[in-house]
Amino acid sequence: MKTTSLNLKLALAALGAALSPLAAAQGQPIRIGVVTPLTGTYAGIGQQVKWGLELAAKEINASGGILGRKVDLIYEDEEANPAVATQKAEKLFQVSNVDFLTGTVNSGSTLAVGQVAERNNRLIATTVSFSDAITGEKCSPNVFRVNARAGMQSAALAEWLAKDKPGARVFYLGPDYEMGRSTVAAFKDAAEKKGAKSVGEVFAPLDNKDYSPFFGQIRAARPSVLYTSVAGNDTVRLFTQMNEYGLTKNLTVVGASGTLTSQNLGAIGKAAEGFVTGVGYSPLIDTPENKKFVADFQAMHKALPDLYGADSYGVLYFYKAAAEKAKSTDTDKVRAAMRDIEWMTPQGKKKMRGGDHQAIQDMYAVRVVNGQFTIVAKVPGEAAIGPDSCTRF
Amino acid sequence: MAEHLLALRAAVMRRERVSHSTLHFFAYAFIALCLVFAAIAMATGDVFFFRLATEALIFGGLALAVDILLGYTGLLSLGQALFFGYGAYVSGLVLKEIEPSFWTAMGIVLVTATAFGAIAGIIAIRARGVYFALITFGLAQVVSKIVFNTRELGASDGIIGIPVIKTDFLLFQVDTGHAPSFFLLVLSIIVGLYFLVAYVMGTPFGRTLVAIRANESRVPFLGFHPWRYKLAAFILAANVAALSGALYPMLRGFVSPELMFFQVSGNAVIMVIIGGVGTLIGPLYGAAILTGLKSVIGTFTEHHLIVIGMLFVLSVIFFPKGLVGHARPRIERILAARGRES
Repeated sequence: MKTTSLNLKLALAALGAALSPLAAAQGQPIRIGVVTPLTGTYAGIGQQVKWGLELAAKEINASGGILGRKVDLIYEDEEANPAVATQKAEKLFQVSNVDFLTGTVNSGSTLAVGQVAERNNRLIATTVSFSDAITGEKCSPNVFRVNARAGMQSAALAEWLAKDKPGARVFYLGPDYEMGRSTVAAFKDAAEKKGAKSVGEVFAPLDNKDYSPFFGQIRAARPSVLYTSVAGNDTVRLFTQMNEYGLTKNLTVVGASGTLTSQNLGAIGKAAEGFVTGVGYSPLIDTPENKKFVADFQAMHKALPDLYGADSYGVLYFYKAAAEKAKSTDTDKVRAAMRDIEWMTPQGKKKMRGGDHQAIQDMYAVRVVNGQFTIVAKVPGEAAIGPDSCTRF
Repeated sequence: MAEHLLALRAAVMRRERVSHSTLHFFAYAFIALCLVFAAIAMATGDVFFFRLATEALIFGGLALAVDILLGYTGLLSLGQALFFGYGAYVSGLVLKEIEPSFWTAMGIVLVTATAFGAIAGIIAIRARGVYFALITFGLAQVVSKIVFNTRELGASDGIIGIPVIKTDFLLFQVDTGHAPSFFLLVLSIIVGLYFLVAYVMGTPFGRTLVAIRANESRVPFLGFHPWRYKLAAFILAANVAALSGALYPMLRGFVSPELMFFQVSGNAVIMVIIGGVGTLIGPLYGAAILTGLKSVIGTFTEHHLIVIGMLFVLSVIFFPKGLVGHARPRIERILAARGRES
């Protein structure tokens, strides 16, 4: 009796072993779901996500795929709305049977889709969301982040500030809403730890037309550095008005990475000169990997990659590295392989921290010179990453 | 003269009976379609479409609330998602922080939404026509921005980690994570809300609302205060929206401020118009159609908003009374003919 059951088990195991690689190898592509905003406010970011993924998929497929299987990207539009994103993610998990999912942009979508992944026992990675909570207090065993989080951006900027302007007197000007206040608080914390002196802070309403009422307060505090986390058209007005009032003399303006982007840089013009921010990527990174990436990206899409395009390009190589290390696409095996894995990206080698699923990467301080972001300092990943605050796993 | 009036009254009542039974015919047809769908989905072991259909029903409840105001009271609400989101947040917080119990969540939503609806109603119903629409829109914008900026409510990220719950219904148990049984639970709640609202609209209260819609200035001359009736209708609509919203976190396990945004309110109005204004059951059809279309078309093209917009324009041009409003006279004729035969 015992031997027959053993024989049966052996036979089944042999059959399984014979069948599974066969089934996997025979044409079955690896399906990767992309839930990203293709319409609405964040469509521009979704476009970069799509471009980055397409380039990586083309390269991977041309060089034999992942585990010998081709990569298939399946897109769904999430409209930057978590309620839409969860529904689309569920469709990809259950109807399209994707092996892995990426692309979510706003943090609310990433968190909600992460929960869908958890309930469907699948893995996701975000390449855009920077809310610290995703790999912090709201971390999930099924969610990874390959891009730099908000804390790393401010840590990189604070690191540069401490080196370039030791003991700076910093004034903070943020937009008066939750995100604005939390970015200011995070940077203030990072800067003070590095020896900067805070001389005051003020919060202006969102979509503020006139910043001059705050200028008296700023001047009275005599700061050497002004940190701001306003964004979009608010940045345009703040910078031009500061320039008109002559406030920018002997003042270094630094800010969040979303404050000044290629979208509003043109409108600000000269007033943006000298602005410094901390970012995880710049097309100007001077490495052979990045130069090749930028050239290929431009050849394929007739546009420069930004950090979203670069990180979305990198995420496929992240999955490839993990799946090949695990020799499987099984969720548990791939998750185990993803933890503490190292892989190559346009930004150089990244490492996925096992404790909170946050990628460790080199950060850069960039400054606007002649209307172009130029790299002024490189901050090693270990200095910017900050402590692991995830307690769930 | 008196005889003539009596005959007229009898004729009107007969017509009304036919009209009511026609709408109920659509309601039974809706339930039958849902059960057929459930049987097919169960047989194929599907999960996604079950949960999508559950979501359609939940948003159908919101559309039903819009129709109470638009179809019966003549008030266009562009901010009904406020109450939907309110119900979702309250239910989500109760389930996560207080007790993972279906009844506690629904009970607290019912009580507090009544109070919340009364406060919002006192503000909103002072205005008429387009001003009412603007006030409801504004209220929803203000509250959603407050939620968006309140860290205790998860701010822009919303609240995740709302647990899957089990509910006892004496004879059986429903697990919100089990797609078929939760679908049937939501179906019975939403259809129950429909029959409740349909019943209320048939009472003198409902007739007064219709009178207000027809000519508000004349209603006081009949001895009624339009203000009270409008407020009551507003509170009823707030409750229907909030109770539907309370089901959302049970399905998806999260809430976010987007649930209160204009996108949701606007979709609900579209559902009502596609399904048929003033039919109550039409909005449920409209919700099923719009949710289904969005999911299917979105997979094929990223230009799904254009396609849906065009379909909406076409449906308004060719079926201005909506699906149910368009089919209604045909069914009515059949039912009336059968009525004469018997």
